[in-house]
Amino acid sequence: MHWIALQPAPDTALAGAQGEASLADAATAWAWWALQFTPLVARMEAALVMEVSGSERLFGGRAALLDQILKPNWPLVPVECAQGATSLIAFGRLQCAGRQARGDADAMPADALPLHTLVAARAHLPTLARLGLRTWGQLCALPRGGLVRRFGAGLVDALDCAYGQRAEVYPWVILPEVFDAPLELSASVETASALLFGARRLLAQLQVWLRARQRGVLALELLWELDARRSNALHVDAHHSGAGQGRLVLRTAQATQDMQHLARLLGEQLAQVTLPAPVLYLRLRSLQTQPLAGESVSLLPDDVRQGDSLHQLLERLSARLGAEQVRCATLHADHRPERMQRWSVAVNAAQAGSAKGLGFAIKSGAACAHSTGAGGQNDSKNIQESALYPTWLLATPLRLTVHQGNPQYQGPLTLLAGPQRLESGWLEGDAALRDYYVARSATAGLVWVYRERLGAKGAGVGIQAQACWYLHGLFA
Amino acid sequence: MPASAHLLSRIGVHPDVWQADALAGSPGRVLATGDAVLDAQLPGGGWPLGALSEILQPPGVYSEWRLLLPALARCGTGAVVLVGAPQIPFGPALGAQGLLPQRLLWVAGQAGAQRLWATEQALRCADVDAVLAWLVQVRPEQLRRLQMAAAEYDKLFFVLRPEQAQNESSPAVLRLWVAPTADQSDALEVRALKRRGPPLTQALRLAARPARLAQLLVASQMDVAPTLVATRTALPPEGAHFTLGRPGGEISPTLVAARTALPPGETGSGDALDRTAACA
Repeated sequence: MHWIALQPAPDTALAGAQGEASLADAATAWAWWALQFTPLVARMEAALVMEVSGSERLFGGRAALLDQILKPNWPLVPVECAQGATSLIAFGRLQCAGRQARGDADAMPADALPLHTLVAARAHLPTLARLGLRTWGQLCALPRGGLVRRFGAGLVDALDCAYGQRAEVYPWVILPEVFDAPLELSASVETASALLFGARRLLAQLQVWLRARQRGVLALELLWELDARRSNALHVDAHHSGAGQGRLVLRTAQATQDMQHLARLLGEQLAQVTLPAPVLYLRLRSLQTQPLAGESVSLLPDDVRQGDSLHQLLERLSARLGAEQVRCATLHADHRPERMQRWSVAVNAAQAGSAKGLGFAIKSGAACAHSTGAGGQNDSKNIQESALYPTWLLATPLRLTVHQGNPQYQGPLTLLAGPQRLESGWLEGDAALRDYYVARSATAGLVWVYRERLGAKGAGVGIQAQACWYLHGLFA
Repeated sequence: MPASAHLLSRIGVHPDVWQADALAGSPGRVLATGDAVLDAQLPGGGWPLGALSEILQPPGVYSEWRLLLPALARCGTGAVVLVGAPQIPFGPALGAQGLLPQRLLWVAGQAGAQRLWATEQALRCADVDAVLAWLVQVRPEQLRRLQMAAAEYDKLFFVLRPEQAQNESSPAVLRLWVAPTADQSDALEVRALKRRGPPLTQALRLAARPARLAQLLVASQMDVAPTLVATRTALPPEGAHFTLGRPGGEISPTLVAARTALPPGETGSGDALDRTAACA
C-alpha cells in the first residue's frame, strides 16, 4: 500500500483563481480530477488522500505518477504533496511539510510525527501534552488497555490504522452517474442574464465531471429557485402551486465538453427569460450525455480552418433569433413549385442527424449530390428542367392586375415562353391548375407568372376574361 | 506605363500599392466570377476572398443570383449563408445551376442589428464558405467590422444593398452596381463604383443566364410564323400536364409557340418550356 496526500498550498485559493472560470465546488471537482489516477480517493479535511499502489505500474512507476499528479494541468497548482505507507502517515507528513522541506517530510519516520497531525488525537491534545506525549511513537508505547480506558477506543483504532494494523476504510469519492450540482448564490439575483455568472461556475464544474467521465454533454438543465419571501402575492401563489422554480433546458447537436459554447447558448436563452422574483439557488443537471470519441487532428496544420463548427453556429443563431429564423432546405418530389422544397428548422435537422441534414450535406457534399440522384439519367433531366425555374420564389403568389388582358407587374408584362401546364394536388383537395409563363417586365427583368386555369376553383366557363394572373417567381 | 510598372516592381513597393491607371496586382486570393468579361475588369481576375464586396441594386430588381451563382457553385462544399434574403431561394433552380440546396442556410433576421450579428457569426464559422447579406440600413463602421471578420476568416462575402447607398462611404474593396439592361436583350449591366484600379467608365454587359434559359430566350426572340405552332405533343409526366401551343386560344393572339433552335441532341426530352417559345 502506498498513499499520497495532497493539499493546496496555503497561498492558493481553492477557487482556482488562475482558471478562466471559477468552480462551483472546487474541492469536489478536485477530488473528481484525482480519480483519474486511482479509484481510491478520499477527502480528509482540506486534503485528499489516494492509494496508488494499484496504479503505479500503469503510469510507469511511482516517480512518473507523482510527476503526472504534480504536472501543472490544473488551476490549483501549486500543490503540497506527501507520501506514506498509510493514509494517516501521508497525511501526518503533509501537515509537517509546511514547516520542512518536502524530502525531509517524506523521510520523517512515523514514530517521530507530532501528535497534532493525528486527527483522532486532536481532541485530547492538551491532556496528552500534560502527559508529556509529543509524538506518535510515544503514544504507541503506552499500554493499549489504559489508552482505551482513558481516551476511548477511537484513538487506539486510529493508531492501528496509522501503523497499518487495521484496514483503512473511507467514504471513497465516487464520480456520480449524473451530474447534479447546486449552487447558492452569494446575493439574490434579480435579472435572468445575471444568473449566467453563477451558471458559468456550474458549467466549469460540469466540465471537470465530463472530463473525468470522458463524456460529452448533449442536454442539460438549469434550475433556479425563486425567493418566495420577496416576491409579490401573485408569485407566492405560484410558489405554493409548485411553480416556484424556473427551468431552462439546453440542447446541443454534438456532444461537447466546450463550455464556452454552452455558456454562450445559455446567455442567449437567459436573455429571453424574465424572473418573477429574485433567485437564491441555482442547480445544474445533465440530462443526456454520451461518450466522447477522440478528435482526429489533421497531419497538415493548414488543413484546419479556424472558426466555430457549423452546429455551433446554428445553435447560436437559433438561440438568439429563434429556431424558426434559421432554416435549411430539403427537396421534395412535387410538381408544385411551392412544394418542391421545404425550408425546415435547421437546428432540428442537425439534431435529428438525418442523412438529409445540413451537417451531412456539408461533410460530404459531393457524395450527397451523387446519392440524391439515384436515377442517373432521370436526375440530369430534372436538372435540365430545373434550370428553367426562377431563382427567387415568392412566399405567397402575388395577384397581378390585368389591363386589357395583359398582366401588369411594374408595368405591362411581355410573355416570352410558355405555357408550362401544371395540374397537380387534386388528391390533397388543393388542386393547382396553372399555366406558367416566363415573362419580361420592363424594369424588373424576367419574372415567372402563372395564370390560374379556369375551372380550377369550380369557376364557370363564361368568365374567361377574368382569368387571374399571379407572380410566383423572379429570375434573379 | 510598362516601364514605370517595371520600375515600381524593382523598387519593391508593397503589393497593396498599385498604379492609378492599372488594376491592383495581387489582392490576395480570388475566385473567378464565371464570366470572362467581368473577370478582366476585377483586380486579380475574380471575386476577392476574405474581403467585403458590395453589390448595389435598384429597388425591386433582383439580379444577384445571375451574378454570383457561378462563383458560389465553385467556392467549395461548405454552407452558403443567406442573411435576410428578400424572397425564398428556390432550391431546384439553384441546384440546377450548381449550388446544391443542401448547402444553403437561410437566416431570416428582421432587424438590422440581428442581421449584422448573424452575418458576423456566419463569417466566424469554419464550415461556411460564403456569406450573402442583404443589409438596408448599415453604417460604414458596421461594414468595417464585417470586413475585418471576412478578412480574418477568409470568406467569400457579399453585401447586397439598395442603390441609394452608392453615395455613402463604404469599406468594401469592390462595389458594383448591377441591374438588367433597359433594352429587350436580357443582359446584365454592371458598373464598378469602386475597385482597386482605375475607374471603369463604361458599363459592362454580361449575358449571365444559364444556358438552358438563354436558349429559351433566344428562341422566344425568333419571329416564327403562326403556322409553325408545334405539332408534337409530349407525353405528360404523372401528376402534371404539359401542353404545347396555345391552351384554348384565349391568351393574347401574339403569343405563339414555335420550335426552338436547340441542338438536335437536346431536343429529345424535356418539357414544353424548352421546345416551345413565343414572341411578342
